[in-house]
Amino acid sequence: MKHFNKILFVSLLCSILIGQIKLDVSTIPKRVDVYLDGVNLGRSPILNERIKPGLHKFEIKKRGFAPLSYDLLVNPAQAIKLDFFLNPIYKIKFKTEEKGLVFELNGEHRWDVPYVRLELEAGDHSLRVFKIGEIIDEQIIRVDEPKRFNYYLKKPLTSN
Amino acid sequence: MLKILNIIYRFLPSFLLLVLFYGCSSFKGPLYPEIIYNKRQPLISVTYEYGEIELILPLWYDAAVPDNILFKVYAQADTLHPILSILQESPKEFLAYLPQGVLDIQNKTNIIKIIPQDNNFDPVKVRFKGIRFGRLTLPRKTIKMGQLVVRGNTYLNKNDSLVSGASVTLQSYDNIINSTKSNQSGKFQIAIPGEYKYAEHLRIVAGENLIFKPFIKKLDFSKSRKLELKIGLGPSDKMKEPLYMTNKNNVHFRKSPEIGSETLFLLKEGEVVSVDKVTPGEYFGFIEVSLDKSKNIQLEGWINRSDLRLVNFNNIYKQQFERNK
Repeated sequence: MKHFNKILFVSLLCSILIGQIKLDVSTIPKRVDVYLDGVNLGRSPILNERIKPGLHKFEIKKRGFAPLSYDLLVNPAQAIKLDFFLNPIYKIKFKTEEKGLVFELNGEHRWDVPYVRLELEAGDHSLRVFKIGEIIDEQIIRVDEPKRFNYYLKKPLTSN
Repeated sequence: MLKILNIIYRFLPSFLLLVLFYGCSSFKGPLYPEIIYNKRQPLISVTYEYGEIELILPLWYDAAVPDNILFKVYAQADTLHPILSILQESPKEFLAYLPQGVLDIQNKTNIIKIIPQDNNFDPVKVRFKGIRFGRLTLPRKTIKMGQLVVRGNTYLNKNDSLVSGASVTLQSYDNIINSTKSNQSGKFQIAIPGEYKYAEHLRIVAGENLIFKPFIKKLDFSKSRKLELKIGLGPSDKMKEPLYMTNKNNVHFRKSPEIGSETLFLLKEGEVVSVDKVTPGEYFGFIEVSLDKSKNIQLEGWINRSDLRLVNFNNIYKQQFERNK
């Protein structure tokens, strides 16, 4: 029993000495599961965790927000504080009265119906419009809230 | 008719619900099956908090204290670029705050260079192994005055040939502080602690193991801690052969050969006499007397033959029994 206590104490001491960097993690929004190198640290905010210097991977997933994966080379320091701002996903309605058009977002997502509901990550998206296989229009859609876009050929998108 | 109205009445709510459902779904439009990401870089803030290294080096001054000291701290064996450079009045302990992570924590490649702003002191280096952060107190370092050094060569005055194996000692009064011998090339270097800088009666004595009178010179380190001396031993080339040497101390060197004539000097053992005339009991000749640093004069006089022996330049070293006398 004495030996067991000794081993426990030594291993505890080693773990404290090796992983000397104090780690705090905050996220916006709060109460998000934070994974460090695949291990769940718990829900944010995370306080007084320990991390070793070196390369680490942080992963954060929450419904309604773009998943976040971040590789960080942690330098030797007394403490490190990480703030993650998750990128929200907004519900967008896209409508056009033009006929025979094919729409493409970010070079990979296509539809040809006049009215569609989309879930878009906040930020800029690249819209291309095709007609009979040819690009007839290109625009940048800026998404910063739930919106309804109305598309008119070769006119800037209007939202309401 | 009533029957028809009754049926309509019974199915009206279901019908209205169907109309509402299909109407609204057609109004909402289809949902695109995937979430569309724009691969925007997430906003992430990384803040490091670095600790400090409190570096303490206690100092002890032996004999003398320099006015000012320049401290330079080098890390990770980089001796070109100091991470810290401080000039301050000689402190009891050197204290510096360094940012975390600058020191080598694996090996002793970090250096504190202590450079006293005083010619009497030599720079000192302290090598140490660093820590990640926190307080690091190093062992006390003693700051001593730099050594006093005399270097030069020993040669024969007679022909300027270098003398090897000639003893050289530094003495305070008659106390030997350090001793050495000239090497095969006739060169020597001898050092004593810097605290003797201001000692009076500090002298160098050379050639005590030779048959000649030893070379004795007072040393003055007030202007420099390093002196260069060319030590000429034995008689000069102005002393004509045959050369004799006194074989004991307190040999009378007299003005004339008569018994009872005036004694000019009492000669020490090893004094060389250039003999010019011989009588049955006495030799007439010259001795060499140095007046100052470089000037020698010759004085004539008479000496008992029994007090002299012929100088043998083939072996200028004293025999063991002679040295033990």
